[in-house]
Amino acid sequence: MATWEFPPRIVGGIARHCEGLAKALIRSGHEVHVITLDLPGIPYYAELDGVKVHRTAVQLGHPDFLTWALLFNHFMEKKMAAISQEIDFDIIHVHDWLAAFAGISFKHYLRKPMITTIHATEIGRAQGLHSPSSLAIDGVEWWSTYEASKVIVTSSSMKDEVCEHFRLPPEKVEIIPNGIDLSKYDISVDRQMVRNRYGINTNEKLVLCLGRLVPQKGMEYLIRATPTIRQRFPGTRFVIVGDGWLRGHLESLARSTKCSDSITFTGFIPDGEVVALLRQADVLVVPSVYEPFGIVALEGMAAGVPVVASQVGGLGEVIEHDRTGISVHPRNPDSIAWGVARVLSDPKHSAWLTENARELVQKTYSWDAIATRTVEVCEGVIG
Amino acid sequence: MNSSFDTSYDRTMPEEFRLLCMLHNIGATTSEKSLPIDRISEWTRMETSVVQLQLQKLVELDFVHCTETEGISKYHITLNGIRKVLSTYS
Repeated sequence: MATWEFPPRIVGGIARHCEGLAKALIRSGHEVHVITLDLPGIPYYAELDGVKVHRTAVQLGHPDFLTWALLFNHFMEKKMAAISQEIDFDIIHVHDWLAAFAGISFKHYLRKPMITTIHATEIGRAQGLHSPSSLAIDGVEWWSTYEASKVIVTSSSMKDEVCEHFRLPPEKVEIIPNGIDLSKYDISVDRQMVRNRYGINTNEKLVLCLGRLVPQKGMEYLIRATPTIRQRFPGTRFVIVGDGWLRGHLESLARSTKCSDSITFTGFIPDGEVVALLRQADVLVVPSVYEPFGIVALEGMAAGVPVVASQVGGLGEVIEHDRTGISVHPRNPDSIAWGVARVLSDPKHSAWLTENARELVQKTYSWDAIATRTVEVCEGVIG
Repeated sequence: MNSSFDTSYDRTMPEEFRLLCMLHNIGATTSEKSLPIDRISEWTRMETSVVQLQLQKLVELDFVHCTETEGISKYHITLNGIRKVLSTYS
């Protein structure tokens, strides 16, 4: 498995996806080696529940992200070449364009099949191809889908997107959703203690939002919805978890709402604390404007918090409106405020939503089920 | 309902954050790989005075660490800084 991020080097959903899938593959009796990038303080080789994790140092750099990505692929290739002296790999699984060149080189070097999972596309992330770098990344994505024997995507909206944009035959693209480890969310938390850490009383409503603070996550639309929500539910507090380059802008937008005292930006917090917050939040809002899958919605569903999510991309498939959560219009603060009110005003209905959601997660999104589907795809390719 | 909001906020990446990303991508991620200001200025094609100002902000935010070696200040990004950079991508 080639990926530029693997825990504890966590950027977005890819690290969690690779970790969940790799561990589930180990449980089903497979051998998995992960080739990834280093992180200061983390050993270059470690075994994580049986998954062999090889980290490579990037010895050359360049200020431009795309050039840097091409450089680190070289060091990943070098690491792969060294490992392949001892291991007879059956298949190479590449995650996103960032590890594509290393995977493609390795495929030709070993003469073994390669599959790729496209977690998101550049045209989707950037909402267009507005720069030479974006165009080049788009080209790398296309090249990786061309070189791959099979392309995996996490939702049917992503399948439509990659088939149309990269002109792929539908039979080359398989949909395997993201998974989630339910046991991680089966913990009891001291509601008061968790809330105390954020200065929130137990009787105040807590609206939670988590993700990278970048435009595609649409957090500005939740912030714009806060006055309307507080008008209807005056004691409501908002906690925004995550970090990103947009944070300064979002904080200044929050100040302009005149209810900034009710909005807390936590920055990056450890996984355990995220789970604790999820377990006692009253609503989780996922206001994304582009979301190929939306694993954060699954996290909320697993934790038993009612989810209000934009109806975009994979989110529209994970959330069945008014049965497993509430779907709202993207880029629409009024719609978000309506969705939050729908949940807060009817606790009985909210409890029913979370029950349905948890059942769905259990049935459809376990990592073992996702690993089984991935193995089927691999076996079909290996022949 | 949105008339009272600051709708004119700048959506471009702040200068200090661009510098942080570049520090990450050129590999200044540990004390052994820390770089002096003139070298950072060369890499990033930013004026030394601008680099100095932005680095100061990043040090205050705990995204960059400064070490003195033989009278020369050298800079590398911290784990917090790496996390901040990585939050841009993916």
